[in-house]
Amino acid sequence: MPTQEEKAQDENLVRDMKAGHMEAFNKIFELYQRKIYALSFNMTRNQMDAQDVTQDVLLTIYRKIDTFQGKSAFSSWVYRITLNATYMKLRNKKKEQYVSLDESLPNFNHSGFQNEKVSDWSKSTDSLLFSNETKEVIEKAVDLLPEKEKVVFILRDVEGLSTDNVGDILDLTIPAVKSRLHRARLFLRKKLSHYFDDYQARSAKQ
Amino acid sequence: MICCKECIELLCDYFEGTLDPETASSLEDHFKDCPPCVSFLKTYRQTSDLCKKTLTAVEIPEPVQEKLREFVKTRIQNR
Repeated sequence: MPTQEEKAQDENLVRDMKAGHMEAFNKIFELYQRKIYALSFNMTRNQMDAQDVTQDVLLTIYRKIDTFQGKSAFSSWVYRITLNATYMKLRNKKKEQYVSLDESLPNFNHSGFQNEKVSDWSKSTDSLLFSNETKEVIEKAVDLLPEKEKVVFILRDVEGLSTDNVGDILDLTIPAVKSRLHRARLFLRKKLSHYFDDYQARSAKQ
Repeated sequence: MICCKECIELLCDYFEGTLDPETASSLEDHFKDCPPCVSFLKTYRQTSDLCKKTLTAVEIPEPVQEKLREFVKTRIQNR
């Protein structure tokens, strides 16, 4: 959620922009360009697409500011426009991939208890975090998520927005946001577990 | 006592802090007796942290930054 100060600053900028002050737009450009670009880039993983989307969004903010009524936060409006423009890009090159999120769960016995050893790699990731290999594994795993789960995961866990705010942007109920988020995290956890287990096995051999 | 399957279903709410106190406490009781779920919990949380650290590092590359400034100048400011 934007802080009260950020909200107040946005409201002032929107008011000034509606009154025709170009400096207000420039300030909005400065404040929001990275957020717009990063969200679009994380969704498309394509620099050219993210650049196009950022330009489209800036133009839309400029042209449509009068239609923004302030019912939700200005930042939510910007995120919505960004996602709409991003979906247009993705629609053109849709690769329908089926990924079973249900396989992300561990094996349970008939009473619902875990059947297999769960390795804890949470403490051994520090030295790996900034390796290109780890980065690539994470990017690829996020890319494999179906769009519905991916967008919730990026807004909530990567951009750090609150669950309420994500629901507002995507027009989803809170339980729907949480359920998609949980499925995304389970899927990614499984992918990272494979990678870190494999990494540890490789290191042990050396 | 809740089972591992239920425990994993509750993790998202557990991190959000939105479980009722009774459920949260039975979840914590489960963790005391179940090392696999503790490992699961830690790696579930670490997954979010790692992805956040990796993906929030996205910056606008300088050539793109230059194009955006040019775009704003020609398409918006000079209209």
